[in-house]
Amino acid sequence: MKKSSIDYALKIKIPLIIFIVALSFVITFYASRTERDGVGYQPEQPILFSHKLHAGQMKIDCQYCHTGVSKERHSLVPSANICMNCHTQARKDRPEIIKLTQYYEENKPIPWKRIHKVPDYAYFNHSVHVNRGVDCESCHGNVRQMDVVKQVKPFTMTACLDCHRNPEVKLSYLQKVNKGPENCFACHR
Amino acid sequence: MSNATDKKYWKTLGEFSDDNALIKQKQNEFEEGVTDDFEPNQLNKISRRKFFAAMTAATALTATACSDYRDKGEIVPYNKRPEGLLPGVPNFYASNVNGVSVLVKTREGRPINIEGNPEHPIYKGKVDATTISSILNLYGPERLKEPIKKGRQTTWEIADNEIIQKLDEVSKTGKEIAVFSQRLNSPAAMGILNKFKAKYPTSNFYFYESIGCSSKVNSASKNYNVNALPLIDWSKVKIALAVESDFLSREENSIYNTEGFSSRRDIMKSNDFIRLYSVEGAMSLTGANADYRITLKPDLHLEFLLALLNEISLKRNFSKVSISNENKSLISKYSLNDFIKQNKLDSVKVFYLVKDLISNAGSSIVLAGDSLDENTNSAVNLLNEILGNSAVYSSASRVFAEDLIDENIFDKLILDMKSEKIGAFINFDSDPVYHFSFKKNFPSALKKVGLKISLVSEENDTSELCDFVLPIHHDLENWNLFQKYSNVIDLQQPVIEPIFRTRQKENILLTWINGTKFYSEKVYRDFIKNYFSMNVYPKANSAMNQENFWFSSLHDGFAEIQTDNKNPAFTQVKIEVPKHQSGKVVCQLEKSYFIGDGKYANNGWLQEIPHPISKVTWDNYASVSPSFAKQYSVEMGDLILVKSSGGEAELPVVIQPGISENTIVTEIGYGRKVIGEVGNNVGSNVFSLMDSDDNFVFEVEVKKTGKTYDLASTQEHHAIDDTRLKDIHKKRNIIREGTLDKYKKDHHFLHENEHNLIGITREHKYEGVKWAMAIDLNKCTSCGTCVSACNVENNIPVVGKDQVSRGREMHWIRIDRYYSGDAENPEISNQPMLCQHCDNAPCENVCPVNATNHSPDGLNQMAYNRCVGTRYCANNCPYKVRRFNFYNFRDNFSDAYYENELTSMLNNPEVTVRSRGVMEKCTFCVQRIMDGRSEAIKEGKEWNGQNMKTACQSACPAEAIVFGNVNDKNSEIYKYREHDLAYHVLEDLYVKPNVTYLAKLRNTITEES
Repeated sequence: MKKSSIDYALKIKIPLIIFIVALSFVITFYASRTERDGVGYQPEQPILFSHKLHAGQMKIDCQYCHTGVSKERHSLVPSANICMNCHTQARKDRPEIIKLTQYYEENKPIPWKRIHKVPDYAYFNHSVHVNRGVDCESCHGNVRQMDVVKQVKPFTMTACLDCHRNPEVKLSYLQKVNKGPENCFACHR
Repeated sequence: MSNATDKKYWKTLGEFSDDNALIKQKQNEFEEGVTDDFEPNQLNKISRRKFFAAMTAATALTATACSDYRDKGEIVPYNKRPEGLLPGVPNFYASNVNGVSVLVKTREGRPINIEGNPEHPIYKGKVDATTISSILNLYGPERLKEPIKKGRQTTWEIADNEIIQKLDEVSKTGKEIAVFSQRLNSPAAMGILNKFKAKYPTSNFYFYESIGCSSKVNSASKNYNVNALPLIDWSKVKIALAVESDFLSREENSIYNTEGFSSRRDIMKSNDFIRLYSVEGAMSLTGANADYRITLKPDLHLEFLLALLNEISLKRNFSKVSISNENKSLISKYSLNDFIKQNKLDSVKVFYLVKDLISNAGSSIVLAGDSLDENTNSAVNLLNEILGNSAVYSSASRVFAEDLIDENIFDKLILDMKSEKIGAFINFDSDPVYHFSFKKNFPSALKKVGLKISLVSEENDTSELCDFVLPIHHDLENWNLFQKYSNVIDLQQPVIEPIFRTRQKENILLTWINGTKFYSEKVYRDFIKNYFSMNVYPKANSAMNQENFWFSSLHDGFAEIQTDNKNPAFTQVKIEVPKHQSGKVVCQLEKSYFIGDGKYANNGWLQEIPHPISKVTWDNYASVSPSFAKQYSVEMGDLILVKSSGGEAELPVVIQPGISENTIVTEIGYGRKVIGEVGNNVGSNVFSLMDSDDNFVFEVEVKKTGKTYDLASTQEHHAIDDTRLKDIHKKRNIIREGTLDKYKKDHHFLHENEHNLIGITREHKYEGVKWAMAIDLNKCTSCGTCVSACNVENNIPVVGKDQVSRGREMHWIRIDRYYSGDAENPEISNQPMLCQHCDNAPCENVCPVNATNHSPDGLNQMAYNRCVGTRYCANNCPYKVRRFNFYNFRDNFSDAYYENELTSMLNNPEVTVRSRGVMEKCTFCVQRIMDGRSEAIKEGKEWNGQNMKTACQSACPAEAIVFGNVNDKNSEIYKYREHDLAYHVLEDLYVKPNVTYLAKLRNTITEES
């Protein structure tokens, strides 16, 4: 081999290859971080409501507040009057409850920050999943342990299909489980 | 004199005087001192390239290092969620829209769809196209939002107080208060008007109908002494004769009639079909559905009926009532044979008719068109009595409470206005200036009235001339109580809070009666509740108490009441034959199929539904017969000038096979000047052609103008006698038909010459649910209700005339119309066409991005997000049902007419609003399928496709559409698919479509030879 060609390889070819490989790695790494799918998203809420306290320690059932979850597409964030079922009596003197009462009495809706979101063109239906026995935790993580709720799983089409294709692996706690539909119209219309 | 070329041009005086310094300066490139300050050393050290490099690096670094999350917005729940309302789940409320009892589908408190009220005794859950699409008017961006006084916004308080004061003045001076209204059909509103009259005794009510059935009602009141038209019990009818009657579509009770008529052509139930004869000059939807259609010029209908009477009662001596002498002598002048010869009618058809009428006496019915004059209606009544046809009347009838004005009253009013005897004019949700366009002096007379008030929801020709324009509620914001039928009271309740500062029109009058202090939204509700308990409850014979009965009726949307079922006695009246000059051209004005008398002209959805026969959208035109066109040497789209003694109008020609000779048929409701951006200047105003309040204008003159006009039609207008295209639909097995007799002899006649088709691909097996649709062409009347229902359900945009003429209409379902046979009187076949969801769908193979493919339940699915807009699929679809979004059609109208905050509330949240560049098509209402599936899972049932109805199916007044799971052997759809008459369009392509058509059977008479 001629000296010049080794020289060329060492000086130009190899660094270029290394650079391209490194660049693709960096781009892929950043593009595929779960944060980009919203995992870890933990916004501050207008009222410091703790799921850990309500659902964890006091063991209030999810459906007591999220009333739509077994009935329809949306799970429904509870309207203020559901909170007031208890808080007209309970802990009325706490600053956060005072805030809540203020919202309620001024008839202002509480602008909760949205954490979990599928795109507009995907029509996710809570009730078909819940009524088939899928646990809330399978998608939303262990909310019972969260003081401030954060997203722990990606809400991408891959994530949906992953479970639809291998439900017996992903939802191993279910005795009998069918494969979920994989056709377009199942979610998009 | 200097030559023009010698001229010297100069810019400044210096130049003119040949200043030396100036000449020198002109020779330099730059003016002196321009570059003086330029010093390269003083420039920034960073070069342009370096700056860009740094900026790019910074951007890249920010992009990659960014770990912040995108904001996902907020979820804002109700503060106090109303009971019974679950966000995401629709609620249905019974109410009344456009005079039809309906269920309104609301989501989170906003109406998004209108469906039929299934428990209603008359409508039986059926609606019509206009009613469904009228929901768009609720969210119309051009609705009046505030009271207007002389062109300026004002408040209700100011307007009310001023009006009350002025009305008091007018009534003190003894001048008349003229109140204009169309038919109200509401005893409660009538009660308010009477209250108004009690307070202002000088007030007078002028009820009118632009084109309605007033002469029919008048003749009924003379013949039977009732202001009512009996409904027909279609189960008893074997033979029907429609004389210029469009009872299946544009006339009173059309929803009821369509349901009844189609149920008598239901091959699944019985093969004893009704036979429909139609005698008409226009080509109406009813005529298109007739087994025998006879073309007859509209001014000859009375003579034809008299000749029929002569043949039946005198010649064949068949008569169940005795005919009065004066009528007998009139009838005896008209011989049927002579009439047939004179007018070159098809004698075979006419004598079939005579024979059928006599042999089915007592179970036949002759129907006169709503628009025909009193004499013709009396002749029809007499013919029905002679045949004993009152036996087919049902006990219920359509009742009319208002006395309509006639021309003489109107003329007197104009004179009174001119002589300033009228102190105030109140337009009670009508538009007399437009509807009486032929009274040219009305607007100028109106200007002489001191106080002019309009109660309207959108500006119109009349409100424009008024001092006060008061905005009123849409039907969906209203309380009311209606009585259209003798046996049922319909209730209307609001399903949404008033969107703007509008008020109920009855309530406005109540405020003027009671004073402004007493206004509240509830006042009129209390009034009708009171009316209901006083007048309706006692007649209802209910076991419930008054309060409960009110709430239960409100929940149902109606209350049935007891009526005395007396068949009114028949009194004969003298029939007279008016003299018309024969041989002159007759112009027949008809109601528009969808926009009515122009009330809905600003509704783009309705403007865009193609005319059921001509398939023209966004226009009215002069329909003429091919021979007429030859005579005047005009072609499709040529403008002709139609002149009558009343006025003139320029209309484009549509050559319409089936129209009688020397007849021009055109539609009213177009050519509006003041209605809104959508409806203004669409078509031309033909009200101006009228010479009286009659909608037949006899003796018009026609002139060719030499100009042409572009009409937007959704179907090609081939010459029917073109040999290449003639009967192509039958040759290619798109339309397959037979006669009832043929079917009775051999149930399997349709499939005799068929061979098995073999595919080259692997056959896919469908397990579980598999969706399919069947359309019974015997029942379908092509009324267009399915198109309207689909538009509303699936967020179909309005594209406008220009785009329709480029073939870019977006309707997911269309109704194809085919002619066959004689060019002057063709046979018509209709076929609703939508995505066939083929098993071997040709569109799927050609999609380069797999945006369209098949679901396991047999749906041809379309993923909008994948679509890149190559349009290969549309190109490869043999049924031409795919629609491409060439624009974002919602902002295609100026200022994004359909894409504002208000109109967007109309969208069905369960269906994606498609944007520019994607393909779309019928989805078999997959949102409803998914809802049904989720309900089944909720209830823990096996999902078997039970209770699933598509939007077109639930709206269809003829019940021609069946939808369901074909893998369920007990389902209705399975029976339809296996029926002997079932066929697929273009079957030999072997694309295996999933929409099955039942071949049309014509109930014609086969002569035994």
